[in-house]
Amino acid sequence: MKKIILLSFIFLSFIGFTSEVYTFNSEVDEQRFYKLIHEVRCPKCTSGSIASSNAPVSEDLKNKIAELINNGYSDKDIKQYAKDRFGSGVLYDPEVNTSTYILWFGPFIFLAIIFIGFVFRRRLG
Amino acid sequence: MNTLLRFSILIIPIVGILFFYNLLTEDKFYPGANFKNFNVPNFKLQSLDSASSFKKEDLQNELLLNVWASWCITCRIEHDFLMKLNSEGVRVTGLNYKDESIDAINWLNSYGNPYNFNLHDLKGSLALDMGVTGAPETFLIKDGVVLVHYSGEVNQAIWDSVFIPIIQENKMFK
Repeated sequence: MKKIILLSFIFLSFIGFTSEVYTFNSEVDEQRFYKLIHEVRCPKCTSGSIASSNAPVSEDLKNKIAELINNGYSDKDIKQYAKDRFGSGVLYDPEVNTSTYILWFGPFIFLAIIFIGFVFRRRLG
Repeated sequence: MNTLLRFSILIIPIVGILFFYNLLTEDKFYPGANFKNFNVPNFKLQSLDSASSFKKEDLQNELLLNVWASWCITCRIEHDFLMKLNSEGVRVTGLNYKDESIDAINWLNSYGNPYNFNLHDLKGSLALDMGVTGAPETFLIKDGVVLVHYSGEVNQAIWDSVFIPIIQENKMFK
C-alpha cells in the first residue's frame, strides 16, 4: 500500500516540462527548424547541437532561426547567418570548399598512398 | 623504395610532433581573438535608464564596445582595466547583456562607470547578431566596422598583444 501511494506521487503529479514553444506557418517549416537546430553547433559548448543545449546563446540562436524561417529565409541563408557570426565550426557538417578539401579527401589520399606502397612492397619482395 | 618506406615510419610521427609543437607553443596564439572584419548590424536599443535610444549610427566612431552584465564575475575582474582605459582617453561603450537595468545601474554606481553610454540588450538580440557567446566580450570598432572581436577578459597583456597592433595600424585614439 505504501509503495502504491509513493508511486502515485510520481504518476499523478502535475509536473510538466516545456522549453520555448516555437510557432511556424507550416509543418514543412517546423520540420526544417528541427533539422536545422540539429545541424548547428552550440557556440558556447561546441560539443553539442543547439537542439541539445539550453545555454542562453543557444536559446537565442534557436529563436533567431525560427524567426528567420518565418521570414522566408532558406536553409542555406540560415546556415550562412550562423557561420558569419560564429565561424565555420558552428556547422556540424563541414562544407566542401578549397579550405576543407584536405579534410574531406585527405583520408582517401592517405589510404591510396598506403595501398600503392603495399603493392610496391609486394612487387619488390 | 624499401628504405624510403622504412624511413617513413620514423618521419611521419616526427613531422606530426613538430607540427603540433609549433602550433601549441606559438606566442601569438590567442584563441579568444577574431580579426574578421564586419559591419555593425542594424539595431534599435535603449539606454540603461530608458531615457534615450540608440541605433547603428551611434556605433560609428572609434570606440571599444564591451559586452558586460552584473551577473558576470569576469566582468568585475575586467572592470578595473576598463576604468584605466577610459581614463587614458579610450572611448568605451557598454553593451549590457541579458541583465535587469536596475541591477546594472546599481553595479555601475557601486564600482564606477567606465562607459560613455550603455546599450541595454535585455534579450541579447544585438549581441547574437554580432556573434557574442557570453560575457565579457569586446569589440574594437572604427567607422562602423568591427576590427577585433575578443571573447574573454581584456587585461593589460591582451590589450598590448591583441588590440594595440590593430589600433596603431589604423591610427586610432589619437
